[in-house]
Amino acid sequence: MTKKAPLESNVDKVGSVLVVGSGVGGMQASLDMADSGLMVHMINEEPSIGGTMARLDKTFPTGDCAMCMISPRMVESSRHPNIKMYTQTRVVAVDGREGNFTVKLEEKARYVDPDRCTGCGACEPVCPTRVPNLFNVGLDNRKAIYALFPQAVPNTRAIDPARCLYLTKNVCRKCEKVCDAVAIKFDDTDKHYDLSVGSIVLTPGLKTYDPAIRQEFGYGRFTNVVTALQFERLLSASGPCGGEVSRPSDGTHPKRLAWIQCVGSRNTHNANGWCSSVCCMYAAKQTIIAKEHDSEVQATVFYMELRAFGKDFDKYIDKAKNVSGTIYRRAMVSEVIEDPDTKNLSIHYIDEDGRRINEEFDMVILSIGFEPREDALAFADVFGIEADEYGFAKTSKLNPVETSRKGIYVAGIYQGPKDIPETVIQGSGAAAGAMSILGEKRGTEIQEVVLPPERDISGEEPRIGVFVCHCGVNIAGTVDVKQVADAAASQANVAHAETIIYACAPDGQAKVKDIIKEKGLNRVIIASCTPRTHSPLFMDTIREVGLNKFLFELADIREQCSWVHKDDKQVATDKAIQITNMNVAKARLLDPVQQNSVGVNHAAMVVGGGIAGMTAALSLTQQGYHVHLVEREGRLGGLLHRVRRNIEGDDVQTFLADTIARVEANPEITVHLNAAVESTDGFIGNFVTKLSDGGSVQHGAILIATGGIEYQPSEYGYSDSDRVITQRQLEDLLAERDPQSGETYVMIQCVGSREEPTNYCSRICCQDALKNSIAIKQKNPAAKVIVLYRDVRAYGLKEDYYKQARDLGVLFLLFTPDAKPVVDTAGKTLRVSLPGTVLGKEIVIEPDYVVLSTGLRPQPDSKEFAKKYKLTCNIDDYFLEAHVKLRPVDFPSEGFFLAGLAHAPKNLEETISQSLAAAGRAGALLSKEKLTVSGIVSKHNRDICMSCLACFRACPFGSPFIDEDGMISHNEVKCTGCGICAGVCPAKAFQVNFFRDDQIIAMIDSVTEIN
Amino acid sequence: MASGEEEKAVVDNPETISGDIPPDWKANVIAFACHYCAFAAADLAGVMRLSYLPNVKVIRLPCTGKLDHSYVMRAFERGIDGVFVAG
Repeated sequence: MTKKAPLESNVDKVGSVLVVGSGVGGMQASLDMADSGLMVHMINEEPSIGGTMARLDKTFPTGDCAMCMISPRMVESSRHPNIKMYTQTRVVAVDGREGNFTVKLEEKARYVDPDRCTGCGACEPVCPTRVPNLFNVGLDNRKAIYALFPQAVPNTRAIDPARCLYLTKNVCRKCEKVCDAVAIKFDDTDKHYDLSVGSIVLTPGLKTYDPAIRQEFGYGRFTNVVTALQFERLLSASGPCGGEVSRPSDGTHPKRLAWIQCVGSRNTHNANGWCSSVCCMYAAKQTIIAKEHDSEVQATVFYMELRAFGKDFDKYIDKAKNVSGTIYRRAMVSEVIEDPDTKNLSIHYIDEDGRRINEEFDMVILSIGFEPREDALAFADVFGIEADEYGFAKTSKLNPVETSRKGIYVAGIYQGPKDIPETVIQGSGAAAGAMSILGEKRGTEIQEVVLPPERDISGEEPRIGVFVCHCGVNIAGTVDVKQVADAAASQANVAHAETIIYACAPDGQAKVKDIIKEKGLNRVIIASCTPRTHSPLFMDTIREVGLNKFLFELADIREQCSWVHKDDKQVATDKAIQITNMNVAKARLLDPVQQNSVGVNHAAMVVGGGIAGMTAALSLTQQGYHVHLVEREGRLGGLLHRVRRNIEGDDVQTFLADTIARVEANPEITVHLNAAVESTDGFIGNFVTKLSDGGSVQHGAILIATGGIEYQPSEYGYSDSDRVITQRQLEDLLAERDPQSGETYVMIQCVGSREEPTNYCSRICCQDALKNSIAIKQKNPAAKVIVLYRDVRAYGLKEDYYKQARDLGVLFLLFTPDAKPVVDTAGKTLRVSLPGTVLGKEIVIEPDYVVLSTGLRPQPDSKEFAKKYKLTCNIDDYFLEAHVKLRPVDFPSEGFFLAGLAHAPKNLEETISQSLAAAGRAGALLSKEKLTVSGIVSKHNRDICMSCLACFRACPFGSPFIDEDGMISHNEVKCTGCGICAGVCPAKAFQVNFFRDDQIIAMIDSVTEIN
Repeated sequence: MASGEEEKAVVDNPETISGDIPPDWKANVIAFACHYCAFAAADLAGVMRLSYLPNVKVIRLPCTGKLDHSYVMRAFERGIDGVFVAG
């Protein structure tokens, strides 16, 4: 199957895209589009990319460090050959139309030459000007010359022109004097660029609410009242107190911590009407992490409603309550009072029994919400797009990533409050949008790098060159780099050793290349900083003079030596010698590594013909790929046939019929109805699938959109009375007839959800209840609606509908799972009694209808399906994505993607976003003619393999397999190079390139040399 | 093996060797660190200018799953005092 030229061809289209905002959503969109062969111009207003996520300490549910997750993305974005990064830059004008926009950019003067600055940081200590550090939300100070944060990308300082003494008062220039790289550029000016791009993706991010407006909480007056974002920085190991949480007033470790929820959210009077969607979960995370930091911490969360609506969110709240002992109090806090002596804080609230309570805490954390950026309306104007009433970008819920102007897409919080995975999903979804209109222009704006042929070094003795970097004073200030170079020179096979001021600077790299040629080096070691950020750069450098990239090793003598042993120069120097020599020992044994490549079949197979599968299929064809859409039922459309309207009022059935018609009319979609997947062979880019109808399909990617099912209730007398119905049946009823005056509808939430054995939130039922309650009241205000609920999870902008329902007179009554409502269907009329645990007295209602808000379930055979593809499911049998935060539509197995209810319960808008995202991810893969396999893979030696199957069992990626002859073979395309196979193999038939046993043993021997 | 030789072959169990540890003695440690997490953590320690004793040498692995028994044995055979596997 070849790549198809998209249906409409337009010669004016430009194969490049502008991405505005380089947080986690912008980077995702940029990387997807760049991978597909589009040129991406990624701009950011701050001096470093990374956005809000870079400010977070850890992320739930895994407790992973946010920086550890986002920093590889930042490095990848900055190094991608198809991404051009502009920092301190904004868009001032946009002209043109879809396919061909002209944009004007303005880049603020940085006063530091990014081509020269090596990021060594020698300038910062000498700068005399202290400026509040906004990255740490003002908790400490930075200098006027600064990096936004330690892991900033680009790793280039910037000067704050408003605070620099030279730029404001014409004195100082101290930074210039210490900069050995001559990078300070006081005469720098703002720059302007005109770009032609085919599409624009907006990911400008968010602003947080200023809690000083809520004066009753004392923010800005009481030192120990902080925002949740400040608390993130206090928790963070790279924050102002090094991760040891200390109280701003006295530096002690606070023990009694209180979180106040919904500060700046769900309040139309002096804050914002919407729910910010993420605060319930980040507060739970902060309580857990705070407890991990200090086991004596007692966390209390004051909340209105616990909105743990996402996948596995309720389980995380349970962890906070049960493992970390977090106390949850459903109470509105009336005020916070500071004790002037101790600076402790008293919280006044009314408890569940109606008593007024004063409780003292050491610190109070305000869970502040999100807002659109301050200049949201002006920003929308620049791009000529419509904003909603709040300033968020206006989108239809049926096209959630398209703005009102064709060719301009949006992702992340600028489209409405959402969390990290949803932002990443929309990033990929917006990328899919741009790739749909620019499919035929892939590869037209990018430049391919031409490299000289690789020099054959076989038969040569190792001739190792060692370059010991001063890194300005970062290394040389502590380590005697000359001694390190001399010690290396005395090692066997070292043909050249010298010191170098900045190995990574352009002149440093030029020097390395010259010496390689001059001395005929065939192995290179740079002793400088961490291989995690700098290896790719140096590997490219040596490749440019014809050496295989893998004939290189980086000795980390900065992060792991000079910076941690700076108090004892001799000790640091000795250790730097050991580290360098250890790498010399490894380098002697380095061999060239060839990176194989495989061809790619440009078709996708989409399993599941519901709205998720159809949306993904249509997007893939627009991007230029053929799709096999496999549906086991006799018709397309899946569960969406059962939904008439969404809460926003869109006509879902017309939309569905239109989508089905577009799929059926599309010549690039082969629909396989009444067909299930029997088996799939092959690997990424090259799959062959047998279908149950006898058909066989060849494809390069698999997109799993197998959906879910509705829960069929047995509770509350559903099977005993035809007046006990589900929300879905109520929707049908309301379509048939209007509600009568005086009729009473009682809705019961969480039926079959949030309780064992299905202890998760189905996410859509609260929206369903609100939608139908509003419909009843709008059709007949004299009908009564009473909603019995546990938490109304009207997250994000759906809070508006919760308010609307209350304004229309819908009653909401709380119940707890240990005292659920009882429905009596025995009499002539229905009787619902609500135990008095919450309201203090039992309530009895005689409704005309009891409406059960039933949730969603995974497909009953999802586990079997998972087994077929070696995929994993979560405890509730929904498919588990590769990474909960950053890879929400990928599977760990390469070439597999995920969308829709198969992943977790979600509404139509979220399903569409996720389907577009999966289509974007799959499209980026299918765009390739060849896939290059990573060089660091496990190599299998069949001659000594005994086929004991240890590797076959241990490999998480399924790369060792039982071949036709019954013996083990190894598929390097699936291999990630983790080396688990090599570890478990008793015959040592597996060796990982670049991490071979002999290489590691040589390092051990070097460092254990007995002198 | 003759019975006399058997006695000679008895090796002192290091755990039962009596005698004081010299006051300036520092354990010599090799750390096998996963490229993605523990090695990154060691880098972060540097970025934050934390300090720790110099007698630990970090060997980077693509994953701690790559750790081989032979590495640990080799390290101890050659007199290392401790092996730290982090990932």
